[in-house]
Amino acid sequence: MCGIAGIFFKTPGSNQVLGRALVDMLDGCQHRGPDSTGFALYEDDVEGLRLRFLVEDDAEGSIARIRAALAEHGATIAKERREGATFVVDVHYDGEIRPFSYAMEHAAKLVSIGTALDIVKDVGTSHDLDATYRIGEIRGSHGIGHVRLATESDVKPESAHPFWATGFADVAIVHNGQITNYWKMRRRLEARGFEFRTDNDSELIAVYVADKLAQGVKLETALEQSVDDLDGTFSFLVSTKDGIGFAKDRLAAKPMVMFEDDGLVAIASEEVSLNRLFPGRPLSTTEPAPGTFRTWSRSI
Amino acid sequence: MVTIDLSKLSVREANAAFGAAGERGEDIEVLNPDARHHIGVGLVAPVTVKVRGSAGYFCAGLSHGARFEIDSNVGWGVGDSLYEGAVIVGGNAGAIAGVGLRGGEVVVKGNLGSRGGQVMKAGTLLACGNAGFLAGYMMYGGRIIILGNSGERVGEDMSAGEIYVGGEVQSLGSDAKLVEPSEADIASVKAFLTKYGIDFSGTFKKIVNAGTKLRYGVNEPVSRPLPHTVFSEADTYWNAKVAEDIHAKSLIGRYRIRGYGASKPVPHFGDIALKIDPARVAAASDALAKVKLATKIGDRHGAKPLELSMPVMIAPMSYGALSKSTKIALARASRLAGIVENTGEGGMLDEQRAEAKQLIFQCLSGRLGWNIHDMRRADGIEIYISQGAKPGLGGQLMAKKVTKELARVRGIPEGIDLRSPSRHPDIMGADDLVIKVEEFREATAYSKPISIKMGAGRVRDDIKIAYKDGFDFVQLDGLQGSTGAASTEVLENVGIPTLAAIQEALDGLREIDAKGDMPIVLMGGIKDGVDAVKALALGASAVAMGTAAIIAGGCISCMQCHVGNCVVGIATQDPEHEARYQIDVQSKAIARFFEVVRWQIATLVAALGYDDFRDLSRDDLVALTPEAAAITGLPYDPTWADKAEALFREVA
Repeated sequence: MCGIAGIFFKTPGSNQVLGRALVDMLDGCQHRGPDSTGFALYEDDVEGLRLRFLVEDDAEGSIARIRAALAEHGATIAKERREGATFVVDVHYDGEIRPFSYAMEHAAKLVSIGTALDIVKDVGTSHDLDATYRIGEIRGSHGIGHVRLATESDVKPESAHPFWATGFADVAIVHNGQITNYWKMRRRLEARGFEFRTDNDSELIAVYVADKLAQGVKLETALEQSVDDLDGTFSFLVSTKDGIGFAKDRLAAKPMVMFEDDGLVAIASEEVSLNRLFPGRPLSTTEPAPGTFRTWSRSI
Repeated sequence: MVTIDLSKLSVREANAAFGAAGERGEDIEVLNPDARHHIGVGLVAPVTVKVRGSAGYFCAGLSHGARFEIDSNVGWGVGDSLYEGAVIVGGNAGAIAGVGLRGGEVVVKGNLGSRGGQVMKAGTLLACGNAGFLAGYMMYGGRIIILGNSGERVGEDMSAGEIYVGGEVQSLGSDAKLVEPSEADIASVKAFLTKYGIDFSGTFKKIVNAGTKLRYGVNEPVSRPLPHTVFSEADTYWNAKVAEDIHAKSLIGRYRIRGYGASKPVPHFGDIALKIDPARVAAASDALAKVKLATKIGDRHGAKPLELSMPVMIAPMSYGALSKSTKIALARASRLAGIVENTGEGGMLDEQRAEAKQLIFQCLSGRLGWNIHDMRRADGIEIYISQGAKPGLGGQLMAKKVTKELARVRGIPEGIDLRSPSRHPDIMGADDLVIKVEEFREATAYSKPISIKMGAGRVRDDIKIAYKDGFDFVQLDGLQGSTGAASTEVLENVGIPTLAAIQEALDGLREIDAKGDMPIVLMGGIKDGVDAVKALALGASAVAMGTAAIIAGGCISCMQCHVGNCVVGIATQDPEHEARYQIDVQSKAIARFFEVVRWQIATLVAALGYDDFRDLSRDDLVALTPEAAAITGLPYDPTWADKAEALFREVA
């Protein structure tokens, strides 16, 4: 039960006020989810592959285990830092991502892996996270964000959104709603070797979409299929290294509003978030129809 | 003209300023609205409000008499439950525009989101563009005009009212049909368009209810059913009641409907005992004078609390399920006992308001009888999500009870088998609910407690949502809670027992470090003061009693509640039957019963050695069965069974 937001800057070059925009948009709909907040940001200062881990309990031990696991898999550390409840490390690594990410998860709670993606999520509000992680200063090309009101799973950083599609670099999702065929879909994916870290239905969407992408399915097609395959109420945003997309259920039970001009595309649960980008200006917005999907990508 | 800049004032401050301007008769201009929610909610004044930009959720909601002009877009629920007045939206409207309209006019120059006009009763909703999915969903009356395309499944499960479509009818909803509009229809639609300066030269298709689902096809056989009190699955598998049930189903070919609650044996308050030596009861003879029973509830967020002379309320029961005379008797009894009465579904009666000193006004999914004026004269506002008798389902009221007067109060057509929606139009999740709660606070100037009524399903999760969404208290209703009508399968099998419900609720609150922060009023099969004391010791802040109050007031459990043939005039709208109900006699009987409940609570609290019911704790309880111990976590100690029986004889 949540609020979602996403922004995609169309102009070439990725040096945009990404963090500030998402902090403001999520602050606008924080009433929809006061428990936790999260961001999936696509940045240009990632060296090699960025990994972010949660290291709240026994931070020193976790970091030692992370370093050992990285060394074991032939990943060399380019830079590293502690930030809030997390440990961020940029590494050089050339192998397969999925076995690497499962191995890293045994060392510590892995939040994301990406060549541009960095997921920052924690208990607290948009402004709380901005203060701890300096989100507002992050520049980049596009990103998605989420405010969460926990209903069925715990209030913990790892239960917050966005969810990284574990095993697939640079794919993240945020979701508002409830997937009612969760267990059925999850067992299908588990039977094919995917691992799940939470019982949160949003993680399922992330893995579902990433699996499609890994099979060579285009993002737009994956979203189209998701409208048929997923049951329940949902409005979700997905982001990849190249762009963002949305899908909306046929029941139209969860809100979504979007604004697009020559410079950007902004999507949010409520127009109040979009207006945070343009204070005092009436916006020409549209509400995606039930059962629809769309993507914006830099590579097309 | 008063100018209000929302980049400088909060919406709460702005709405207070709107009210003041309205009283002076001054028009209002709103700058920098930036799609904020609740602009103009609860404004009751014939003034004009110009919103220079976009508004968020529930713009002009629960207002009466004003004219709102919004330059750009609006979010969900524009004109929610509008009583009279006009709302003109320059851009698009989000979902459920004109939800629950009681009158007035909502004009949207752009497109409508999904479910436009859901459960509207009267008035006109106009979309100059296209409508979204399920326009006119479950509408009870009024008119929707769509100049563009209708969207999918237009008119789904409408019971009355008219929908006119100028563009393409993309698909018809269930129980909706196309008919030829009359000349008078078209003239009236065109006059409406002219009034708002809208040019339209096309033709209209008209959609109305097809009448296939308004009534159950087959009535249940007329018989004299076994009374509720002798119904028991415990005796045998193939007992008389089971045979009767199978026989009835073989005739009607559908689920059966009846009143009352679950009757199968489940662990209940009789399966836990107070650790009181029966000999101590005699020593507590002056308990009423000594024990503090008065309490307040509902001021968690600064509202004026409800004041209870003892931790007991009357459970929500509707005018509809019950006769007006019964509701008046309950209201009077609540005043005599110094407790709180509740409207239940379907609106507030003037007589009920006058008789009850304190009255909670319930808002249900169908928004039946829901309006700003009754909200303002209520002492508490309650959002009903579900009830213990039928969690997850809406109310049912069979045609015989949907009389002309009742239909007027509720704003629905007369003589239909009324099946209320199972979901609120604007509460699809916890995220929407928080915005709804805020709307009700804005509409009542943050002065009234706002509670939630929930049937016991997944209580551990739901109670956390209730806490996070800012409710002042929770009315929690277990499986054994009764109803005027529900399907027998749901009554017996859906939900969890009252004992399990309170335990899960307390566990859930403890998990988020909120135990004790949000009062829980427990109900569902609470028969007397003994049950009440056990509930309080487990952790409830108060209890509510429905069935017990009804029985005290003359109910003979004849099982004719749903049919409306109640012979004593309680669960009926038949004037001949209702004439048998003596309000004066029965209100006093109910009040006397509550005095016994008061004496029982005081005596048991005193016998435990306390002088305040708030001193009760789990340490005062044991479980008499392994099942009750497993549910509550209380120590299993059957050696208390004999003493519990002796104790009950002392106070019964």
